[in-house]
Amino acid sequence: MLEDSGFTDVLIGEPVDTFGGATGEEKARAFEVYGYAFLARRA
Amino acid sequence: MTDHVLVDPDALREQVRIKYREVAAEPSRTFHFHTGRPLADRLGYDAAAVDPLPNGAVESFAGVGNPFSMRCLGSGERVVDVGSGAGFDSFIAAGLVGVGGRVIGVDMTIEMLEKSRQTASVLGLSNVEFRDGLAETLPVEDGWADVVISNGVMNLCADKQAVFAEVRRVLKPGGWFQFADIANGREVPPDALRDIDLWTG
Repeated sequence: MLEDSGFTDVLIGEPVDTFGGATGEEKARAFEVYGYAFLARRA
Repeated sequence: MTDHVLVDPDALREQVRIKYREVAAEPSRTFHFHTGRPLADRLGYDAAAVDPLPNGAVESFAGVGNPFSMRCLGSGERVVDVGSGAGFDSFIAAGLVGVGGRVIGVDMTIEMLEKSRQTASVLGLSNVEFRDGLAETLPVEDGWADVVISNGVMNLCADKQAVFAEVRRVLKPGGWFQFADIANGREVPPDALRDIDLWTG
């Protein structure tokens, strides 16, 4: 979607266990939800 | 709504405002996500940048990753923080860009804006300001920013294409979009994607 929106050089960082130990952990685990850093440049 | 917008944007915004009003007013409450200094540590923020910040700047932080982990900001850069909340990432950015740079935080929740402005005043920062606005219609002129940052906001926007187009509008050609957000590795059922309560809870 980023490339379709006019961005290039898209990079995605390593997953972070954002919800581990929080009350939302169970739901996050069910759908393998993690936090990521994204980097892109405006074309 | 167009095909790629699964829930009503206004209804979702109101749900988000309700949730983050609570995070602003009662940050020590239990939410389905982590908050505050423990979260900043969990996400790998530089303790040397976080520790000196007053509690008002950190306690309502509810990001999902570290937008500075893949590229550090440069001295003198102009930064827009989309969905700045109580200002945590904006204050980190203000320290990185220095007095020659500038940071504009944009948020739609009044309680968060008030909290971030109060902290900016306490810190005596002249290079950061907070504006009331939406991610889809940023109150920033065309091509103003060297960098747009954001943290845990895109997943709460119904029309991501509209937000990305707006980020592109405010960035200079070649400018950086560095943000953190959540993504799921397992497919979410179509019915759940249209359940607005699941977007914020």
